[in-house]
Amino acid sequence: MTFGSDILTRVDPQSAVAVLAPRGRDGAVAERLLTDAGIAVIVTTTIDALVDLIHAQIAAVLVTEEALDADKTDTLKDALSLQPTWSDIPFVVLSNGGTHHRTDNAMQRMDALQNAVLLSRPLHADELIRSVRSALTARERQHHARRLLEELQLRQRQLEESEAKFHAIADSVDQMIWTTLPDGFHDYYNQRWYQFTGVPEGSTDGEAWNDMFHPDDQDRAWGTWRHSLQTGESYEIEYRLKHHSGGYRWVLGRAQPLRDATGQIQRWYGSCTDIHDIKLAQEQRQLLLAEMNHRVKNTLAMVHAMVSQTLRQSDNLIDARASIQSRISMMAQAHDRLVHTTWTETRIMDVTNAALIPHRMNDDRFTIDGPDLPIGSKQALALTMALHELATNATKYGSLSQVDGQVRITWYTDNTPLEPNFNFVWQETGGPAVEKPMRRGFGSRMIEQALAGYFSGNVELDYDRSGLCFKLIAPLMGLQA
Amino acid sequence: MTLASKALPAILVVEDEPLIRMEAVDMIEDAGFKVYDAASADAAILMMEQYDDIGILFTDIDMPGSMDGIKLATYVRDRWPPVAIVIASGKIDYDRMLAPLDSTFFPKPYPTGQIVKTLKDIASRLT
Repeated sequence: MTFGSDILTRVDPQSAVAVLAPRGRDGAVAERLLTDAGIAVIVTTTIDALVDLIHAQIAAVLVTEEALDADKTDTLKDALSLQPTWSDIPFVVLSNGGTHHRTDNAMQRMDALQNAVLLSRPLHADELIRSVRSALTARERQHHARRLLEELQLRQRQLEESEAKFHAIADSVDQMIWTTLPDGFHDYYNQRWYQFTGVPEGSTDGEAWNDMFHPDDQDRAWGTWRHSLQTGESYEIEYRLKHHSGGYRWVLGRAQPLRDATGQIQRWYGSCTDIHDIKLAQEQRQLLLAEMNHRVKNTLAMVHAMVSQTLRQSDNLIDARASIQSRISMMAQAHDRLVHTTWTETRIMDVTNAALIPHRMNDDRFTIDGPDLPIGSKQALALTMALHELATNATKYGSLSQVDGQVRITWYTDNTPLEPNFNFVWQETGGPAVEKPMRRGFGSRMIEQALAGYFSGNVELDYDRSGLCFKLIAPLMGLQA
Repeated sequence: MTLASKALPAILVVEDEPLIRMEAVDMIEDAGFKVYDAASADAAILMMEQYDDIGILFTDIDMPGSMDGIKLATYVRDRWPPVAIVIASGKIDYDRMLAPLDSTFFPKPYPTGQIVKTLKDIASRLT
């Protein structure tokens, strides 16, 4: 016979029967019968020791009625009340005498055990073994139910964790995320959707989302979405979505159906990505390219005009080639300056100085004076070309062909109150006697006709014998028109 | 003035870029035509009203002001139906569809030989 706690270390209480029969031989007999029947037994001698085994989830208890000491009823009751909900330890009670006509006290002690069957004594071997086996079987079912319950609880916990994880992810991404039922009924939006739109949670469930789209995009978005719902094809569309600021922003909408094993759509999972800035940048790039294309074409047309004019009015190809080359390089330099000022406007002092750089010698023979007015890109280009022609002519035939020759360049606005005029003067001194040229080449036409056109003004070219004088008079407005 | 040049209609050149306008005028004058020129659609309409010998409108598309070249062409076609319309522009693909029927298009820079030939063909049909 073995006793008490050292048994606990060898026999698993969860699959063993505790035997509590402290008096007489019943304990020893029961232990032998059960052990012979292949049932694990833990013999114990006190209620307190039994309580320990109850806490250890003993499989069943065989106890004599007299061992259920009245003083210990509450101890047992308390131990049993601490059992988890699935656990209902079966007791087999060996009665004092017959199983009928029990006193109230005896009944109460039995009731305290909650799940007890009463066996009469003297012990009947088969009956004892059958009762204990049936108690063990019932206990086994409880364990089975417990495992199912634990599994369910685990699943539930996993589901909650998974749900929490989904929300954490869905609310941390920059995209708006939504889901719908198979018929397209919106039943979920992440927080980003509500942050973007600023609408109350739940207010865009169902089909109310379409109101959040720009009126011009609603029909198209609705049609595309209907098409996806009918065909199961993935959904992709760009549209303008109402932002909480009140404006609309371009958004890329995408959705994919989730199908079950049979291919039936279970849900739609969708997202909206804010592409407003990218979209605007694209549009700006398109505008810029179109503007660029226009300017390049225009520049080529101007070069074409200059080349045609030069060829038309040249005496020979050698002169024409030199003129064309210097004019093209001057136009290229003027474009460089315009690019630096982003093609909007530049300053007349910059334009004048830059145009004269190729014509300056070591000694400075240009005097330049005037207020540094802003000037438009077309006017800047035209002024550059005109100054180039004037300087080229002066170097060949005018004041700059002489050692002491000078050019004085001045500009000013006059004080006409309503329509102030811009005056630009090129005055040569110290050159040879000026004679009016026999024919008008590209240079003089550029100066006399084209420049006046670009400034919406008039040009005077005076072939004064003491030095050439060129004068442009234009409305001040014409400087940037 | 030869007999042939007498028969040629005058041409109105409309182009806002002075240098390119100068070139267009030279090109068309060299071909023997009498040329008027205007820097905007508004100025062009005034000239159309003033000179009744204009038989061909030769216009740019992209111009500042209340009317671009397409609108000018449409206006001239409505008000002076016999006037032939020639359009020269750096961007022709899109605007071609909006211009009056029977307009002739040229890219910029000008293909001089083709333009002169076309203007002469039109002139021979007009006279």
